[in-house]
Amino acid sequence: MDEDLKLLEAELTRLQPAAPSRALFARVERQLGAAERAPVVPLRAGAGAARPAWFWALSAPLAAAAALAVMFTRVPTDGRAPSARAEMARAASAGDDSATALKPVAAENVLYAASDEGFVTLDDGTPARRERLRYVDTITWRNPRTNASLTWSVPRDEVRIVPVLFQ
Amino acid sequence: MEESTAHESWTTWFQLYGPKLLLCARQWTRSLADAEDVVQEAFVRYWRNQRGLPGEPMALLVTSVRRAAFDLARREGRRTTREERASELDDRVAVFHASLDGDERRAAIEQAMQRLPAEQREVLVLKIWGELTFDQIGTELEISPNTAASRYRYALAALRQELKEADCHG
Repeated sequence: MDEDLKLLEAELTRLQPAAPSRALFARVERQLGAAERAPVVPLRAGAGAARPAWFWALSAPLAAAAALAVMFTRVPTDGRAPSARAEMARAASAGDDSATALKPVAAENVLYAASDEGFVTLDDGTPARRERLRYVDTITWRNPRTNASLTWSVPRDEVRIVPVLFQ
Repeated sequence: MEESTAHESWTTWFQLYGPKLLLCARQWTRSLADAEDVVQEAFVRYWRNQRGLPGEPMALLVTSVRRAAFDLARREGRRTTREERASELDDRVAVFHASLDGDERRAAIEQAMQRLPAEQREVLVLKIWGELTFDQIGTELEISPNTAASRYRYALAALRQELKEADCHG
C-alpha cells in the first residue's frame, strides 16, 4: 500500500463514529439497567471465558435435553400456529439440583414460515396435502441466585400430512 | 452496590462499542432507526448471554449486529439486494462525530463513502472502525481474507480518487 493510502487510512482512523442517540441509550438502559444484576465482567480487550468451563460443561446437556423436549412435544394440529410460552420447559427441568442451579423459565415456539408443498398420495391411495412449517424454538434458563441466564434457540421444520376429503 | 457497578459496566461498554456498532449496523440497514434497533437487540443479547464467551468482544458484537440486521430485514419483508440497500442508505444523518476543525473534510469523506460500492464500504467500515482483522472480516462476510484485503485496498483507492475530485471541484 502506498504512502498516500496509508495517510488516508490514518485520517479515517481518526474519525470518530457518531454516538448513538440518547433514546437508544435509554432503551438499552430499560432492558439492562434496572434488571442487571449479573456478575460484572471486567472490561478488557479479548475478554475471555468469564464463566468457568464447568458452567458450559453442565449447561450443555441441560440445554440439549430441553431442545429434545421441545422437538418431541406434541404440536396442536387444528391449523393454528402454536402459541408462545408453552409449558414444555417444565419437562426439561430434570437436573435442577445440579451445581448449575439453572432453572428453565421460558420456552417459545415462533412460526416464521409456512408453505404448502402440494398434493401427495398416501400408501393407501388417499390424497393428502403436505405442509411445511418452520419454527425457531427458544428456551431460556435462569439462575435465580445470580440472575445468570442461558438461552438456547433451535430451528425446527415440521411437516404435516393433511388428508384431503372430496365430497 | 453490585447493581450500580453492573450498570456502570454496561454503560462503559456501550459508550466504547456503541458508536462503532452503530456505524457497522448502518451498512446492513436502511435507516438510522433500523440501525439503532439492531444495535439495541445485538448489544442486549451480547450483554445478557454472550459476554462470557471466549473471543474478541468486538468480533462477537459485529456478528450479533449483522445477524440482528438480517433478522430485521426478514421480519419486515425487506430482504433486498445489498446494492438496493446501499442506494437507500439514510445519508441525511452524520455518520461521524462532527468536529469544529475539518468539518468540511468529514462531510466530503462521508459523501465519498456513500458512493463506494456497498461491499467495499462494508469491508472498510469493519476494518477501520470495527477493528477486525481481514481473517475476521472474511469469516463474518463469508469471503476469503484475500478478497477482504482486496476490497479494502480498492475502497481506499476509490475514496482517495473521490476526495481528489471533490478537492478539484470544491
